[in-house]
Amino acid sequence: MTDKPPVLKPPLSSQDWDSLIDDFQHGGARRQKWTAAPQFLSSFLDHALSFLLKKDFPLKIPLLIFMEEFSETFFTDESHLLRLLDALRSVVQAPLDGISVTFLLKEQFMISTTSIFISIDALNKFQARCTEGLAELLLTVIHRPNHGVDRQTRAIACECLRELEKSYACLLSGIAGHLWSLCQSERTHACQSYLLLFTMVVYNIVNRKLNVSVLNTSVPLVPFNVPQLISNGKEFVGLNYKELRRALAFLLETPQVLTPFGMMEFLQMIMPVAVALELQGSMLKVQFFGLIYSFDPLLCHLVLVMYSHFPDAFDGQEVEIVKRLMLISKETQHYLVFRLLSLHWLLDLLSKLMLSREGKKYKSVVDMGLRFYPAVFDPLALKALKLDLLAFYSIYLEGLKLEGGSGEDCDASKSVVKLIEDGLISVSAFKWLSPWSTETAVAFRAFHKFLIGASSHSDTDPSPTRTLMNSVIFHTLQGMLVGLTLDILRLVPVVVSFIDRLLSCQKHCWLGERLLQSVDKYLLPKVKIDYQLVSYFPVFDRIAENNSIPPSTLLDLLTKFMVFLVEKHGPNTGLKSWSQGSKVLGICRTMLMHHHSSRLFLGLSRLLAFTCLYFPDLEVRDNARVYMRMLICIPGMKLKGILNFGEQLLGISPSTHSSSFFNVPSPRHYQNFKKSRGISYCIHLERMIPLLVKQCWSLSLPPSDIGSSKPSHLESIMDSEPQVDLRELDVSTSFLATSEIERTNQLQEPLRVMDSKISQILGVLRSHFSCIPDFRHMPGIKVNISCILRFESEPFNHLFGASFLTSPADGVDALPSLYAIVLKFSSSAPYGSIPSYHIPFLLGEPSRNNHISCPSVSPDIVSVENDFEEEENYRAPVTIDLEPREPTPGLVDAFIEANVENGQIIHGQLQGITLGIEDMFLKAIVPSDISEHAVAAYYSGLFDALWEACGPSANIGRETFPLKGGKGVAAINGTRSVKLLEVPADSLIRAIEQHLASFVVRVIGEHLVNMVKDRGIIKDIIWKDAASDSFLVSTASSLTGLDQGPLHLTYFNDGEERETQVNGYKRRMGCILLLIFLPPRFHLLFQMEVSDISTLVRIRTDHWPCLAYVDDYLEALFLT
Amino acid sequence: MPGGCSIRALWILNNLDGVVFSRRFPVVEKQWRAACKTENESSNEDPVRYTVPPFLPNDSEIAAAFVERKKSEGSTRGYGIRVTHSDKRSDSWVDDPITRHIISLRIGAEEEGESYLLWPLVLHVRGPYCILALPLIEPRHLKVYSRLCRRSDCGNAAGVDESISSLLLDLPSITGAFMVALAIGDIIIGDMVDPEVVVSVSPSVGGLLDSLTGSIGISGISSRAKPVAAPVASATPSSTAAIGAVASDAPKIGSRPLDKDALRNFISGAMPFGTPLDLNYSNIFTVKVNGFSSSDLPPSDLKQPAWKPYLYKGKQRILFTVHEIVHAAMYDRDDISDTISIAGQINCRAELEGLPDVSLPLTGLNKAHVEVLSFHPCAQVPEQGVDKQAMMFSPPLGNFVLVRYQANCAFGPPIMGFYQLSMVSEDEGAFLFKLQIMEGYKAPLTMEFCNVTMPFPRRRIVSFDGTPSVGTVSTTEHIVEWKIIPSGRSLTGKSIEATFPGTVRFAPWQIQRAPSSKSGSDNRSDGDSDVETESANNMVNVEEFLMEKMSKDLPPVDLEEPFCWQAYNYAKVSFKITGASLSGMSIDAKSVSIYPAVKAPVELSTQVTSGDYILWNTLGKCPSAATA
Repeated sequence: MTDKPPVLKPPLSSQDWDSLIDDFQHGGARRQKWTAAPQFLSSFLDHALSFLLKKDFPLKIPLLIFMEEFSETFFTDESHLLRLLDALRSVVQAPLDGISVTFLLKEQFMISTTSIFISIDALNKFQARCTEGLAELLLTVIHRPNHGVDRQTRAIACECLRELEKSYACLLSGIAGHLWSLCQSERTHACQSYLLLFTMVVYNIVNRKLNVSVLNTSVPLVPFNVPQLISNGKEFVGLNYKELRRALAFLLETPQVLTPFGMMEFLQMIMPVAVALELQGSMLKVQFFGLIYSFDPLLCHLVLVMYSHFPDAFDGQEVEIVKRLMLISKETQHYLVFRLLSLHWLLDLLSKLMLSREGKKYKSVVDMGLRFYPAVFDPLALKALKLDLLAFYSIYLEGLKLEGGSGEDCDASKSVVKLIEDGLISVSAFKWLSPWSTETAVAFRAFHKFLIGASSHSDTDPSPTRTLMNSVIFHTLQGMLVGLTLDILRLVPVVVSFIDRLLSCQKHCWLGERLLQSVDKYLLPKVKIDYQLVSYFPVFDRIAENNSIPPSTLLDLLTKFMVFLVEKHGPNTGLKSWSQGSKVLGICRTMLMHHHSSRLFLGLSRLLAFTCLYFPDLEVRDNARVYMRMLICIPGMKLKGILNFGEQLLGISPSTHSSSFFNVPSPRHYQNFKKSRGISYCIHLERMIPLLVKQCWSLSLPPSDIGSSKPSHLESIMDSEPQVDLRELDVSTSFLATSEIERTNQLQEPLRVMDSKISQILGVLRSHFSCIPDFRHMPGIKVNISCILRFESEPFNHLFGASFLTSPADGVDALPSLYAIVLKFSSSAPYGSIPSYHIPFLLGEPSRNNHISCPSVSPDIVSVENDFEEEENYRAPVTIDLEPREPTPGLVDAFIEANVENGQIIHGQLQGITLGIEDMFLKAIVPSDISEHAVAAYYSGLFDALWEACGPSANIGRETFPLKGGKGVAAINGTRSVKLLEVPADSLIRAIEQHLASFVVRVIGEHLVNMVKDRGIIKDIIWKDAASDSFLVSTASSLTGLDQGPLHLTYFNDGEERETQVNGYKRRMGCILLLIFLPPRFHLLFQMEVSDISTLVRIRTDHWPCLAYVDDYLEALFLT
Repeated sequence: MPGGCSIRALWILNNLDGVVFSRRFPVVEKQWRAACKTENESSNEDPVRYTVPPFLPNDSEIAAAFVERKKSEGSTRGYGIRVTHSDKRSDSWVDDPITRHIISLRIGAEEEGESYLLWPLVLHVRGPYCILALPLIEPRHLKVYSRLCRRSDCGNAAGVDESISSLLLDLPSITGAFMVALAIGDIIIGDMVDPEVVVSVSPSVGGLLDSLTGSIGISGISSRAKPVAAPVASATPSSTAAIGAVASDAPKIGSRPLDKDALRNFISGAMPFGTPLDLNYSNIFTVKVNGFSSSDLPPSDLKQPAWKPYLYKGKQRILFTVHEIVHAAMYDRDDISDTISIAGQINCRAELEGLPDVSLPLTGLNKAHVEVLSFHPCAQVPEQGVDKQAMMFSPPLGNFVLVRYQANCAFGPPIMGFYQLSMVSEDEGAFLFKLQIMEGYKAPLTMEFCNVTMPFPRRRIVSFDGTPSVGTVSTTEHIVEWKIIPSGRSLTGKSIEATFPGTVRFAPWQIQRAPSSKSGSDNRSDGDSDVETESANNMVNVEEFLMEKMSKDLPPVDLEEPFCWQAYNYAKVSFKITGASLSGMSIDAKSVSIYPAVKAPVELSTQVTSGDYILWNTLGKCPSAATA
């Protein structure tokens, strides 16, 4: 406060006092400014008292009341009290002058002083003489009974003494005799105060069980001394019954002089006294029951209080009491609140009667014809309470029905129905008024009361619930509510909030569910499908939320509605379609959140699919697609988690805002580095089929021309203008050439000798190459690497916070999950740009020791079926699409970015994926004009042509072949190689079947054919006997050609091999020819000459670097 | 001491939510604190936390809390029953209409953890003032209430759980506090009406003061003759409280907001320590103003009752007036039967010396269809419920209501017939009245006047056309008034038939967006545009269409109203009948006897007025109720 404390300026004028009092009343800072200054408090009292004794100060009474109300602030010392007492004495003893000293002032001074003494607890805190002084003064005032002029003052003094006696019980017990005699002699209207004072004294004596005579007047009235028992706390136990009964008899004679409030005070004291003195309750009844006929609500209430004190004495009066209470509620002369109160009293009385299980008494009351039908002009508040009573009555009738035999049955139930219907007529306006009308509120309140009936919330016993479910009331109301919902669209939100109210109640949620079920059962088939249907959506939403209701009916209806929307769509309904369509999706979303996906799947997917396909509005379609996708990809609990999460972020109710899902939360923050490094420890990207060769190296051919952006070396495709193919051999690569590589002469002269055979070959090749896309101008040929992504729950949780750590008992829901996973790939190898891969959802693997992924081991389907199925949840298939520029192994780096459940985004690098040469193995493209059954022959022909073209004597030389797209051309530069595999034919065939089956184009040799064909794995190829195959000729020649080659095989078994070929022709079983396409445009040809114990593989390719890997591959394939 | 009726504090707020008067009763407050201390000591583990504040809330805290409650509860009184807007911990959560009258306030800021609940606060709205009275209860009651308004379940079952009903039955102090609040309301408005007693001789007929001053009258203390109104109906504000004016020095101007002196005097007389002793303001003010003189001698043998501080001196007589108010709902339909009911009372004024007893037999109660009677506290009723009742009473001074009763009409309805209004277009209605007035009524029954009004509160009348067979017609913007029998031209002993065909044109309907703070008002804006568009075309007739349209933006009525008046078309009849009661209730002057016997003439009078006497549009919707 910047104000200077006004302490120094004590109030002088009336206005000053007025504002001082106002400030105190107002409180807060305004009071603070006064009380904060200690000088003010110390000087205040003098100041105030002097003003009180002034002649012409108009605010004496307000000042007194002010001091009284804030006595604790001002009276902190005994001297204060003494000064106050002196002032009081001087005022009381001053003669009346009608201006400065009036009765009014005297009375208020006494009241305020007494009040101050009591509220600061003067008797206990300060010396007794203060209180004694006050009591003495008051006693001298009252000690003049029947004195005419000051009778009101004497009455007030009696009240002051009574308050003292009330606060300090038995203070006046010593002078009870005097008080009694004063009481007897007083005949003016002040006698009420005398009576009440004496009653108070008697009450305290009885209450404290004091052995004091109420007749004895030996102790003088004044001077007054505080009795011993108060000051030393000792009590003399034992009641003087005889005297007290006499006093009571005296008191009971006089009540007609009392005002209603006086009666209230009187009876509140008399009742315990009567009990203590063993007075018959019926005495009181005789004396006071007549009060119930009064229209004073307080007196009626007093009778009720007596009734609850002496229920036995009032036995049999219940009917009368109930009747009177009914009357009060009907008396229009009463202020409304008393009519309401009377109904409340009645309700409580009846429920107490019911609880008391005194069936007979209760029955007689209720049978009296508890017809509490509201009247037309009853205020709605009264109607509401009367409906409560009817609800109460309906419980009674239900009870009758249960107890009674079959005869009463239908009677009681009929009357219950009638009761409900009749009662509701008084508020039937809710059917045509707006849903926010008070009538509606009252009607639904009544529904609620009738519905829950007697089922208490505190009750743990389920039996009332069962009773309720079968009750007539329940069935009636259920029908009514469903009917209302169907007929009056306006009321749908009201019905919904009614159901909500029940649903939110622990005890009665089943009632809400029941109602929803019956809506589902009875309403859904009846609703008309038109634009109005949307009015029902709030209730549909509740149905969708409720697990206990199978969603199929609703889904059906919604699907029909969607169809309707699509059909009705026109230029004028665009917005409507959008709005209603979105609302339907909103309900779908609610379903997704609350039901098992499996339960929904069929219906919902149909609905969503329809919407995706046909709905006119783009946004709705999009949303439907997203929901569809989520339904398919994300398991139930996690899906709910996502949807809930979106909701929390937006704080919007789920149903109405279907679009809310799409407001994707902005990324909170990225994980720190340490975490992102740790990702690769718990998240694994693995190849579905492991590589045969654990490739740890790759052939890297550095570009010759550093300045040029693309490696000119080994340019696989040339532009179609003729160009000198200057191949440079990088010597550094030769160290890798560990197997027999024979290369054709790099600089061959163009041979243009065309015979029919060559032109046929060229024709085949041309048509083949024309199918190969030119990757520079169009999407090239892709290689798909199948991988799986999985992550381990435990280390994951460890890494990303313990919030997911829950006991394993929680099952799937306890496992962490990743959302919206994006895998990005990059590679230094020439694989082109690798598209990223998206996985909507992935669940963490439970930590199981035995859970080892080994897909290469064919699982025992029968025993591990469950296991396998379960595994699917934890593994996401990932396909890496490569568009190799060159068929070479390499490493693909993988990066992950994903959302964790709490909305965090994690990202980091995963273990890279190694690619082997076998990943590049593709089947050659079949031209579209080749019919299906001619494919085998085509492959066979293509093999021959390529074999020829890659052969040493290739006559096609520098012939170029245009690629698909017309811009690029390719040339073939063949290379040959051989590899001897010392494996038995059996295992060889098995290995081929397993890994290379699709590339086999021809099997030659009867023995071999039989062997392979019988196994049935390799099929749809050309089978040939050895004799008829012209190819053998060429193989033979090529064999010789090989012999002549510069690289001679020096293996010890080489001779044997040749021997095999030359001498042991019988042991040679035949040939298997394989044609492998290597993207982007190369080929790898195997001719496997199979014998019993070994096989010679002749290799030709138009991409010589691949031979380096092929060798390893073959060894790994056959020899390990 | 158990029970009792004490008030801890009183506040009066004006319509700007400022506290204009407050009074705390430290003695009662001390009892409350002592009780809290005991309660706290006896139960340590209680989920419901309640703290005992060192002081009662000061005025600014009360005002703030009151405003806060008003905000959360939608209006001064609140929703009353649980609606969708109801907050947990609020009064309306308790879901009982009584919470519009017994409110709770939350004092202090919630987040600071220092808030506490103040309950029960009796709320009485009178004129521009809100009166709050806080009765003394026991802490356990407060706990129960606190539980009630926090309960998480769906609401109370009838008579099973812990309920507000049992609290109310347990707490006479609430009932008492209401009576205090009502009395204070009368005082601050200055509207202290004595029950009317019609006297043929003396022009000045009033209450106690007339008894004291005779016909001389003291300047400034004149009594008013006012028509008796049910206490619920708030009368027009009259001049300031004349009686209390003497003690006040401040200049008395009519516009002075509140007569605090009168209030203080009343309180220190009626409830000096917060415990009411008597609320009879005429007694209290007379004692304050006049005091007692030495000539006021106490009776020699009897005790003078506290409710009769003065004894009458002068010419002796006793007057009775039977006053009945007729409520009727006339439908003229086959499916709904008409209802007519009479609320009656016998007012009395006994100008008798000393403390005599008067005995008054009431006969013919069965014939009069009197349901049940209730009596002034001064009356002794030995037996109830038979056709004949003897009643003995010791009359207080001044006018008082001796008996109240509910009855049916012994005759046919005084006004019978029908009212039909049919909307021929959206803005034009054709109506027809056909009324039979006083059919079968014989002299001395006299109808002093009879008006019929057709209110159209939501439509503006542009033009009106039609002539009644009897009487005159006038219109205002929203009302057509038909004076069938103008006052001064009374109708005695014969019946008349009145017809009134006509048409009324209204200004085009405008949507009225009443700025209502009531529940549900926000629902309206929520209405789905998809739904609304089509309904118009489906309506079969204009009437229903209009109904639909108009009820759409009807604000909800208060729970104190019987129904939403504005939703219906009706005509209201007002009349006054003298000569005899309609119920058949009558007093035989000869059978009135006084003990000790004195010769005092008995004067009787009767008047019947209309309350809600409604003719519902036979062609429209109307509220009704089933009868048992």
